Amino acid sequence: MIEFANQTEDSVVEARKARVLKMAKGPSQNRAAWFPLAVLAILLVFPALQFVGNFNYFIHLLLFAASYVAMASGWNILGGFTGYISLGHNVFFAVGGYFAGMIFARYGISTIILAPVAGLIAAILGFALGWITLRVRGPSFIISSLALVMIARILFDNWEFVGGAAGLALPANSLPVEWSKLPYYYAFIAMAAFAVWASYRIKHSKFGLGLRAISKDEIKAESAGIDTRLYKIGAFAVSAFFVGMAGAVWGEYLTYIRPNIFLIILVSVNMVLICLLGGKGTVAGPVLGALLIVAFNEIFVATLGASEINILATGLIMALTLLFFPLGIVGTLAKAGKLPRILNWD
Amino acid sequence: MLEVEQLCKNFGGIRAVENCSFNVERGTITALIGPNGAGKTTVFNCVSRTMAPTSGEIRLEGERIDRLRPHQITRKGLSRTFQISRNLADMTVLENVICQSSIKGWRDLFNPAMSDEEIEKAVGILEFLNISHIAYEDGSNLSYGQKKLMDLAALLMSDPKIILLDEPAGGVNPSLLEEIVERIRTLNARGLTVLIVEHNMELIMRLSHRVIVMAQGRVIAEGSPADVQADQAVLDAYLGGGEDG
Repeated sequence: MIEFANQTEDSVVEARKARVLKMAKGPSQNRAAWFPLAVLAILLVFPALQFVGNFNYFIHLLLFAASYVAMASGWNILGGFTGYISLGHNVFFAVGGYFAGMIFARYGISTIILAPVAGLIAAILGFALGWITLRVRGPSFIISSLALVMIARILFDNWEFVGGAAGLALPANSLPVEWSKLPYYYAFIAMAAFAVWASYRIKHSKFGLGLRAISKDEIKAESAGIDTRLYKIGAFAVSAFFVGMAGAVWGEYLTYIRPNIFLIILVSVNMVLICLLGGKGTVAGPVLGALLIVAFNEIFVATLGASEINILATGLIMALTLLFFPLGIVGTLAKAGKLPRILNWD
Repeated sequence: MLEVEQLCKNFGGIRAVENCSFNVERGTITALIGPNGAGKTTVFNCVSRTMAPTSGEIRLEGERIDRLRPHQITRKGLSRTFQISRNLADMTVLENVICQSSIKGWRDLFNPAMSDEEIEKAVGILEFLNISHIAYEDGSNLSYGQKKLMDLAALLMSDPKIILLDEPAGGVNPSLLEEIVERIRTLNARGLTVLIVEHNMELIMRLSHRVIVMAQGRVIAEGSPADVQADQAVLDAYLGGGEDG
């Protein structure tokens, strides 16, 4: 090994080193870890409001948003950190949903317990698919991911064992109506928190640094000694894990599994839009994006009715937001140095 | 230390490199020169496996490396820079450099991206190259020369035994160039083997111990800078004489 001792005076070198080392730890002091934890705490006690009124609608909305936080954070590991835009992630949503749903229908094991296993199944599938499709990048990869959705749709539509196109009905739980959503609510909150925590850990690991390098310049990353193929496939598998896990519980929550719930392009497009809106490649981005997308949808459905107009309005808001925040809200603010501390989760 | 034997690389019908053979001795600064289109960068790309050679053998310390993937070659101790500096935008210089730090087993993947030891080592390297003040600049915001220095710093992070520099002087201002030359000399004096592609002849003649001259995909001369300068084939190649003259 070569020594890099320098001609410059030791005291000067020491001072400069100390400055850089201090800066290396700098950004973390700027982070407000208490904020996400506080949000989590509020979400955990929120259902207590059921004692004083009926907040089922809000519980549903939060649950819905949390499911998208989990999925979009998962998608972000491949799409945001690694730079491989996948429009086929709803395949893992379907695989998780069908795997857990079928076992739930046949053996009565709750999908909440099965969720981690369903996630692993999705991850293994992601590993295998990534091994094939991650050889190409850019538009070719996006198209290959779309092809995946089509193949999966044909497969599930015609697979009689899992109910074909008509799908399968799953038994609803027997809890009284004001508490019946809660198991799923807590499951999705837990998954969302886990996904956010995992993205944070990945982003700050050597794995995450490698993924970021791949997203910027793959040839350089490979030449820097990073096993780009393994990293990319790993990222694909991890991101499939979170989507598969969310899919598992989603089926039981809706009480049926059907191809046209899981395998419609809207599900994967939503993951992409959430990340673009919030800020792809950031930890807080998918969370903010999911909340905004769910909120936009609800506000416009409530005010404009369930026609195409509400979709148009959502699209308009998206376009406007991206016009002013090209890197997503969190990404653009962070680049401008104007990100509020409470949103700095990176 | 590095042996290239009968290396060929075809692009379609074009033979960019044809039966190219040479050795790089341990501890030397060896230069690979030649007119534009001689195939120097292609040789680099084949050695570092950025491109797959069509045929031929490449050995590093007696071990064949021409079937390995680029990252494996880097881990064997051969690192390269690129002619047009490739740097990772939206990442600081420090991150750019630490990216090249080697991973010790898969468990290491989940350790913090930059350990204190790595930061210390990286800062040491940046100090050595006199660019520690830009450690927190975005990699894409640097001047051309600074990018070249950052590339060099990243390269050193992987503890290489041999480094391949593709035009380290290209687009660099003269005073910074002197600095780069000085650093390459120092590194070499500390035991690092260097293979360098360069167009700046004055620099090559000053810096290198041995010169390999390529023209039209072949090695046409080899020897000390003085020998090569006196070689008729080399003069022909540069002045456009050659076979028909």
